[in-house]
Amino acid sequence: MASTSYRSKPRTFLPGDPRVEEPYRLTPQLAFRIGILGAFALAAFALLFLRLWALQVLSGEDYLRAARDNQLRQVRVEAARGQIVDRRGRVLVDNRTVTSIRIWPSNLPEKGRYAEMKHLAHVLAVPLTDVLAKLKQQKLDPLTPITIKNNVSPNVVTFLSERQTDFPGVKIEETQVRRYPYGDLASQTLGNVGEATEQQLKKLKGYHLGDRIGQRGVESAFDHYLRGSDGLAQARFDSAGHPRSDLQITQAAMPGDTVRLTLDAKLQQAAEEAIRYGEHLAEKNNNWFSRGGAAVAIDPRNGDVLALASQPGFSPGAFVNPNLHKQLSRLLSPNPSVAEHDNYPMVNRAIAGLYPPGSTFKPVTALAAMEQGILSPYSTIDCPASWSVPLKDAKTGKTVTGGTFNNWNGTASGPLTLPQALEQSCDTYFYQLGWDFYNAPGSPLQEWAGRWGFGRPTGIDIGGEYSGLLPTPAWRKQTYSAAIDKLWKPGDSVQLAIGQKDLTVTPLQMARFYAMIANGGKLIRPHLLDQVEEPGTRRTGPLVLRRYSAPPPVDSRIDPSMLAAVQTGLYEATHGSTGTASAVFSTFPTTISGKTGTAQKFVQGLGLLDQSWFCGYGPSSNGQVASIALCVVIENGGFGAEAAAPAALKIFREYFHEQGGDATSRALD
Amino acid sequence: MLDSRVARPTVRTVPVLDVGHLLRRLDWLMLGAVGALLAYGLWLLNGITRNDVPGDPTYYIRHQVVYAVVGVVGLVLAVFVNPDVYRRRRGVIYITLIGSLLLVLAGGVSARGSQRWISLGSFRFQPSEFGKLLLVLCLAAFLADRGKRIAEARTTVAAIGIAAIPTALVFLQPDVGSALVYVAVLGSVLFVAGTRWLHLGILLVAAAVIGTVVLWAAPAAGVDILKPYQVQRLTSFTNPSQDPSGATYNVTQSQIAVGSGRTTGRGESGSTQTNFDYLPEHATDFVFASLAEQRGFVGASILLLLYLLVVWRALNTIAVARDLFSAIVAGGIAIGLLFQIVVNVGMTIGMAPVTGIPLPFVSAGGSSLIMNLIAIGILQAIHARGRGPLRNPARLW
Repeated sequence: MASTSYRSKPRTFLPGDPRVEEPYRLTPQLAFRIGILGAFALAAFALLFLRLWALQVLSGEDYLRAARDNQLRQVRVEAARGQIVDRRGRVLVDNRTVTSIRIWPSNLPEKGRYAEMKHLAHVLAVPLTDVLAKLKQQKLDPLTPITIKNNVSPNVVTFLSERQTDFPGVKIEETQVRRYPYGDLASQTLGNVGEATEQQLKKLKGYHLGDRIGQRGVESAFDHYLRGSDGLAQARFDSAGHPRSDLQITQAAMPGDTVRLTLDAKLQQAAEEAIRYGEHLAEKNNNWFSRGGAAVAIDPRNGDVLALASQPGFSPGAFVNPNLHKQLSRLLSPNPSVAEHDNYPMVNRAIAGLYPPGSTFKPVTALAAMEQGILSPYSTIDCPASWSVPLKDAKTGKTVTGGTFNNWNGTASGPLTLPQALEQSCDTYFYQLGWDFYNAPGSPLQEWAGRWGFGRPTGIDIGGEYSGLLPTPAWRKQTYSAAIDKLWKPGDSVQLAIGQKDLTVTPLQMARFYAMIANGGKLIRPHLLDQVEEPGTRRTGPLVLRRYSAPPPVDSRIDPSMLAAVQTGLYEATHGSTGTASAVFSTFPTTISGKTGTAQKFVQGLGLLDQSWFCGYGPSSNGQVASIALCVVIENGGFGAEAAAPAALKIFREYFHEQGGDATSRALD
Repeated sequence: MLDSRVARPTVRTVPVLDVGHLLRRLDWLMLGAVGALLAYGLWLLNGITRNDVPGDPTYYIRHQVVYAVVGVVGLVLAVFVNPDVYRRRRGVIYITLIGSLLLVLAGGVSARGSQRWISLGSFRFQPSEFGKLLLVLCLAAFLADRGKRIAEARTTVAAIGIAAIPTALVFLQPDVGSALVYVAVLGSVLFVAGTRWLHLGILLVAAAVIGTVVLWAAPAAGVDILKPYQVQRLTSFTNPSQDPSGATYNVTQSQIAVGSGRTTGRGESGSTQTNFDYLPEHATDFVFASLAEQRGFVGASILLLLYLLVVWRALNTIAVARDLFSAIVAGGIAIGLLFQIVVNVGMTIGMAPVTGIPLPFVSAGGSSLIMNLIAIGILQAIHARGRGPLRNPARLW
């Protein structure tokens, strides 16, 4: 009896359940089901073991690599930008170390980020919108620091370093920025460095957000030499992007190469001073609106650009010095009236200034006329005080008088040979050549001028060059809508012959043409790059990586005798008794040949103003090879001989290291 | 009732606990395995969580040791409770289960978008964890009482009804992982209780159909029974590379952690996936991936073998159970344990969907640990009262 045994064994554990009627037995069915469960458990564990084996033992190395890649993130280290030096190795642009403020977006707090940025923007005196825009731009890349401001003052550095806990994620770091030992020198030509814009990032490959990249000028054109290659540094980051270790350089940054330019800093300085001197002279001659100009000096033998000057300039330091912030915002102002008020300091007038060339174009007309067979240099053409277009009446067949054009000084000089006409710069002589060109089939003058580089870029190796305008009948037809304007009239040809009306050229195109006269008819390609070099030690000197190789100059196949006639005319213009620039150049020790020009240009709001030109080359005496061709233009500067020619003399003085000539005389045009 | 009062002896001897007998009848192999698991789990967790709270490397492990002590006390107490008490008190247990789950929904503490905890002073406890055990007891009691009619369809339907309510409540928290465990528990108790194969087959097909509808057909038709992220988690393990930073981030990082452990592991300081937080929830749901990273294939295998030992002894307990109720309870506990282990480990190695199921005895968290230890205690109580290899079973009571 169960109850008996229950009672007879007082030391039992717990009483049994009276409701269980019969002893429970393990049925075969349940045993079978337990067996199934056991098999199921074994199978499940076997699967887990197999999978673990596959993951950990068979492909463990792959996962280990994946785990290591997980935590090591690479950070780019900006390479030091290369120097820009002049042809003699004078440093035009290099770097200096400044303190910059950067933020690491991954270290910014989630809460209070806006307040921190607001505070930071206030401390650094930068617009908060700029900071927020940069943060937003780099939203997808929180591991790359963002430069908020370069070159901060020591006060700000002290302020921030004392309050590091208030500014989590804000770091004070050393950065290099551009330094300009020569100040404003060649500012438009050298260009500046700035953070790559979105358009640039889209267009260029291999640049990252926040990269500093050459903007404009030499900095932009030779950016690939100057920028070097960024290095890489590694740091351990956790999954939230917080760095857990210091940066370790894994790939050293390769500093950029030095770019040696063909520019001569001294000559460039002289050229810029000369332009200002020209302006000064122009003002003395009551040309009140003169303010600015350009000068281009090239070596006619090889196309080396020795000086590429444009005034007014700007201080490139504005791009790196926060104290010049106001200056910078004026330079970059989207409001056109600001630039107009400052007379477009960012425009490189030497390559992008468009001017009518005036009388400096007369050698082009003369050469074209000779090549075309409508002019024989030593037979004479009359130089009357004025000349009228001899139109034929269609009905009567009689000659009637068309438009009348005056000589520049309103006096007649009788019959002149070509050199004499160039010496005196006789307009009426050239009007008649223009009339002949008008009557010739096609547009031969424009064709010849185009062959000698007008109306198209010279191909100089920095960007921003303009083509100018070489007007043709086809151009008129295309450009104008009124029937009368569409027509190419005799006056168009006549004025083109003396470089007036619609024709515009850049000073560089002009200098290149005079270089062609000087070098015997070879059209060179002007260039600024001399060589790319790796800075070496003082003992070894720089290692040249790449030398500029000029394309072979285009031989314009000008008949030497024709060229000689023009050369003679240009020599007479600076030395002859009636030469327009003789007063300036005849006493200069080195022989300079050249031509003045006074071109009327319509200036908005001021009417027609004279653009003062001088183009020339030297040495130009027999047996000497010209080593410099120069063009100077003084905007609204009056007569060529009064402003541009004395300015040009200053540049020649620097180039030849000689004094002499008369930079104060008031010559005639 | 009167009869029984008369039948009772007037001098009733109070049953005295035969401690020596009890100790001899415990399943020492299982206890040894659990003890080893507990110690090994604490040691693993210590290595995994030492970098989680800056400046306090023992934060997690301190708490976990306290929970373990509480759990061991619970285990010991459970050994002394006759399992039949649970059968008789099934109503109370069921009301406790439903009530606590309702309480969670009414005023529970939520974290990470789901409401799973009830706050008791400083201790937050998770009714859905205890519910796993309570549901086993309720269902076992119901099925044991219907032992003769187990083959009837209405028995099966009624059991499904009993399980459906807590499952639905857990599902609403939402805690898909626990809901799945409840379903697994239901299946296992039906299986052990002797439900007909036909019914089990129908249930299996029904489960498959429901799964397809919830995970695929309904979302395709624009009806979201589960939230889209849940569906993604449940299905993305089949194709972890589809979106490595999004829905499958956990799985990808978890597999990297497991794989990078290789044979012998990267150690406590070298485990970058864990220490740098690439592996989410590495103290709780993904603890296996962390221990696999730190201890390698060897360390993970030791853990799995210990689990296998425990599951084997739990299945053995079904066979030695003294009655149907005990057998069903043992079956529910054994399969519940197995299910949690397999799904949790499978999840970390890309073989099972990502659900919030903790790893028994190892994952940080009091509710799970205490519940599992109590469950072991119940298994021991069943074993001690079962038909062991003793010559005289009558000595048991």
